[in-house]
Amino acid sequence: MKIIVYRLTILAVLWMVSLAAYADDVVVIVHPSNALTEISVSDVKKIYLGKKKFFPGGEKVIPGDQPKGTQSRKFFYGGIIGKSEAKLKSYWSRLIFTGKGTPPKIIGFDRVVKEWVAGQPKAMGYIMRSEADDTVKILDLK
Amino acid sequence: MSRIRKYRIGPACLVAASMALPLTTIAGEVGDIQWHGYLTSAFMVSSDGNYSGDVSDAGGAKDTRLGLNISTQVDESLSFAAQIKGKGTEDFIMELDWAFASYNVSEVMTLRFGKIKYPVGMYNEFIDVGYTYPWIRPPEGFYNQDAVGPNLTRVSYQGFGADFSTYSGDTELGFSLFGGVVDVPDGHVNQLIGAKFSVNMEDEIRFELSANTGVMEVDNSEGRQMMMDGERHTTYTAGIIVDRTNFIFSSEFGQAIMGRKIAGNRPMDMTSGYAMMGYRMGEYMPHITWEQWDVDGGWGQEVIGVGVRKELTTNSALKLEVRQVTPETTPKPAGGLGLFSDVPTEKDVTIVGVAIEMVF
Repeated sequence: MKIIVYRLTILAVLWMVSLAAYADDVVVIVHPSNALTEISVSDVKKIYLGKKKFFPGGEKVIPGDQPKGTQSRKFFYGGIIGKSEAKLKSYWSRLIFTGKGTPPKIIGFDRVVKEWVAGQPKAMGYIMRSEADDTVKILDLK
Repeated sequence: MSRIRKYRIGPACLVAASMALPLTTIAGEVGDIQWHGYLTSAFMVSSDGNYSGDVSDAGGAKDTRLGLNISTQVDESLSFAAQIKGKGTEDFIMELDWAFASYNVSEVMTLRFGKIKYPVGMYNEFIDVGYTYPWIRPPEGFYNQDAVGPNLTRVSYQGFGADFSTYSGDTELGFSLFGGVVDVPDGHVNQLIGAKFSVNMEDEIRFELSANTGVMEVDNSEGRQMMMDGERHTTYTAGIIVDRTNFIFSSEFGQAIMGRKIAGNRPMDMTSGYAMMGYRMGEYMPHITWEQWDVDGGWGQEVIGVGVRKELTTNSALKLEVRQVTPETTPKPAGGLGLFSDVPTEKDVTIVGVAIEMVF
């Protein structure tokens, strides 16, 4: 029994470490004209959970999401936002069915999100670091 | 009761709809309009036929329900949202649940006006959306909106709400003011005014305190309800939810003060409280709940319930639940005891239920 508990603990720790490590492979992007160069993890969480509607500088923000099942979404919500899909669904259900908020729009996969952010000055998105180029600006997470 | 168009939808239609819907997210958008929905298919049976909470000893699907929700963002500050629902406990008649406009004055302040879900109780604003909580029915002593006598929670009110929120680090501090008129069975609560203070620590710990008061107006000219006509009704509640990693704990306590004295000059005040603990083990979450409900006029009930929730997909869940209800009365009043319409044939009554919950 002790061995099973030990192995499960190791697996859980490895899973959390891997999500945290993979979270570094996801980047938060904005339009190149956006004055920000960095943003706190706390602000990203608030923006993607509908609790904050403006960039730290005061400009309106429109967060864009990816569909369930993408690698980027898995790393973003698991490693940065810190919510499983089930908890996320329950969270948004509480807001939707009280009329207090709706989740970010599903824009598409990495390439579509990048093109959307590149054409929308108020946009914020997340994609895999390997997909980013100079059509968008990567924000450093602090 | 303010109902817009009424549609009769049988329980069979709801069950058929639940079977027809794919177990994936199908929420969509048309232009700036978003729609969402929820569905519960439930069956409950009681060991006693006198339980007045719409659970019979022959069994039934009265907890089956469907809700459809629509919202639209008019501009950066103004939005509209509305929801219709049909419930087995209300004969499957589709009616307007709530509909209101929201205006974001700033990041700190939001104003709402229209028909708004009653904001008292940690679960009350989304009480028909079973997917969001562990039980098939949240503790009925606390959330019994139709009981004769003072109530802690209501369905909705018509009026205004002003919500303020700010942050201290990652902790959200909220304060709400609300007021208007509440429609209740055979009457209204007029001159409603209330306030709620809340603390939310990253959705892992949530805490709320609320107080509100109003004056009862009873349309029915007969029965015990008439005694409440013109009485001031004041309610206080406190609640906490801890949802941390796999552990979940929820507890609320409330007191409703009516002022009216009945049954040998005893006040008609009511207190109710419950505590629930659950633990997630992968897809399964077993939970246990204790609940106490007392009316100073001489009746009440104690409930012990156990259940398990199994996640089917990321937007659906299966629930099984067994509750033991012990009615308490000294002496038995004319109107019933606990949520029973007459003295149960058994000292402890068992209620068993199964449900599938879904949001889409």
